Amino acid sequence: MADEILKVRDLKTRFFTEEGQVNAVEGVSFDVRDGEIYGIVGESGSGKSVTALSLIDLVESPGRVTSGEVWYRNTELAEEFRDENPEAVDGEFVDVRRLPKGVRRSLRGPSFSMIFQDPMSSFNPSLTVGEQIAEAVEVQRRARANPRRTRSRTQGYGLGKMLVDSLVPSKSYVQDASMDRAVELLEQVGIPDPVDRADEYPHQFSGGMLQRAMIAQALAGEPDVLVADEPTTALDVTIQAQILNLLRDLQRDEGMSVVMITHDLGVIARMCDRVGVMYAGEIVERGTLEDVFENPVHPYTQGLLGSIPDLADPAPRLQPIEGNVPSLIDSEMGDRCYFADRCPKAMEDCLQRIPEFDAEKAGASDDEHRVRCVLAERQYDESQALHDGHFEEQEVAADD
Amino acid sequence: MSLSRFLLKRSLHGLFVVWGVITVVFGLRVIAPGDPANVLLPPNVDPEVRQQVIRELGLNEPLYVQYFEFVAGIPTGDLGLSLTTRTPVAARVLAKLPATLELAVAATVVAVIIAIPLGVISATRRHDPADYGATVFSLLGISTPNFWLGVMLIILFAVQLDMFPTSRRPVGFDTIVAQALALQFGSAWDALTTWLWHITLPAITLGTYFTALITRLTRSGMLDELGKTYVRASRAKGLPETLVRYKHVLRNTLIPVITVVGLQLGTLIGGAVITEAVFAWPGLGSLIINSFNARDWPVLQGSLIVVGAGFVVTNILVDAFYAYLNPQVTYD
Repeated sequence: MADEILKVRDLKTRFFTEEGQVNAVEGVSFDVRDGEIYGIVGESGSGKSVTALSLIDLVESPGRVTSGEVWYRNTELAEEFRDENPEAVDGEFVDVRRLPKGVRRSLRGPSFSMIFQDPMSSFNPSLTVGEQIAEAVEVQRRARANPRRTRSRTQGYGLGKMLVDSLVPSKSYVQDASMDRAVELLEQVGIPDPVDRADEYPHQFSGGMLQRAMIAQALAGEPDVLVADEPTTALDVTIQAQILNLLRDLQRDEGMSVVMITHDLGVIARMCDRVGVMYAGEIVERGTLEDVFENPVHPYTQGLLGSIPDLADPAPRLQPIEGNVPSLIDSEMGDRCYFADRCPKAMEDCLQRIPEFDAEKAGASDDEHRVRCVLAERQYDESQALHDGHFEEQEVAADD
Repeated sequence: MSLSRFLLKRSLHGLFVVWGVITVVFGLRVIAPGDPANVLLPPNVDPEVRQQVIRELGLNEPLYVQYFEFVAGIPTGDLGLSLTTRTPVAARVLAKLPATLELAVAATVVAVIIAIPLGVISATRRHDPADYGATVFSLLGISTPNFWLGVMLIILFAVQLDMFPTSRRPVGFDTIVAQALALQFGSAWDALTTWLWHITLPAITLGTYFTALITRLTRSGMLDELGKTYVRASRAKGLPETLVRYKHVLRNTLIPVITVVGLQLGTLIGGAVITEAVFAWPGLGSLIINSFNARDWPVLQGSLIVVGAGFVVTNILVDAFYAYLNPQVTYD
């Protein structure tokens, strides 16, 4: 069995807005292994994109990762910080959240990289695609040349240097060698005429080609973990398949791990080895692809799977999950299973907090099929069912 | 389309606009009350003398003939004679143009130098005291009237503190350039310091509104850009914050800001009337006011045409520059 490259433990990310504290990620834990594709699936607003951003430390104000651990296997970093910061080191692993800010930043590119949903808005419209990919190459080239400076506040590239570079015509941040590498990367992701296309601007690319270019950009630092946040959502169906194939091929060739974040169960089924289902900022069910897709236990997972059409057995009507994802505002989130108000099998016990996955406390591997639901341990009992309209009545009572 | 073709095409368009300005300016004279002959002649003058003056000015001709002669003269640089000084209008206007251009450019430079860093600080340190300071400053700047600010600056810095002169322009920038070209660096330096000393207060007065405007534009533009996904993607690929902020974000922020700066420069050429009056700055603004008070129609017309043409030219240059900066815009 492959080793873990990333162990996420009880990650919590909050947004401090004027409407109140929003618990976008509420204690998420999962492991990602070498060379696997780990899927995180959920509806819009379930916190999966924020989880992705939290992993690579890109949550922006007013949001903040408030607690939790992100253990990343890296022998060099573990050696370096073993004496200096023993709390942040566990064997070969370092807790990225406990590393200094500069070190965390220097991990973006060679350790973690990310591709985004909408390729058109993820490139700067006024620079050529080639230059933007070459920048990503250049950052790593400079980092290798001078690792210490890369961790400074300016990463060894301050305002003064930038002014000189932009005013002296022969100087530029991006060196020719990096530009050549960018063209290679474009070729690797299957863009025809990479030399010419490197000099074109994002608006001259089609969506699919630009998504390929974004993958090339993310590969520039040769990352250990690639976080793909809805990589195919903005694309045509035919292009989606191409991009997914490309991602899987590259993942196999490079031996990297991928965290695939999507609302599309088809993508998960096609790509992933293991999967976590997110709801209201929590992972409610997780396990291998077969466990979760063949034997879903959590009513939410069952609902998700029930809402896709099955060609072999066309049901007269699809079964949607009633209602919407809750608001995630802290004060409105009560001490209960967050899905209970939409759950067809809600029982009285669901009005209490569902305990954590017990495996996490023991620190065991999460290969097993685990469910955060009272139904994991016993059968649905109709005599304890909440009557219809229970939550509406509570709301009315609260309003009075 | 190439740049030269773009400029040619836009220049042709510009000619039509200028022609429109000329026509409106001519029309203004026609509909405005007050007979030019009255300006030249004392009241109760002999009607025959009066008729003769009207004939000399060509005002007895039908309107279309007057219009044609007015328009036909302009390409040759003939804007007519001043009613008060009987000297060619073109020469008078051109003599005043450098002072106005100097002031407009100086105000723009002051504005850009202060406003862009202020906007950047304000946007990157949102909800910080620096941000609130910049926001308050730009609100004050936008709402402070020029004439009041000019007078206050004079009272404080010229009268009370005696740091700057109250008014006038003893030396022009053209003199400085001429002296420098003649290798008289000593006197060029003296002239430059005198020039700077005299232009500081007018430039601040004229530039304050503009500074405030650009600060706001830069701040909101940069906040807008900072929220875009490409910024996140740039950070995700490990780019230093310096590059993210300045090479990517600021550059994109400045594309629309530069357009406003250019257009505003065009406005400043004609809009410095009050500032020039407050500081007795001998530019087009003063000329427009004086010729208006003296009912010196030819000078007024000539000044307005030059201001209009200046506006058209800056517009064309701004558009060309915009297309150069923004690859999504082509020269079509």
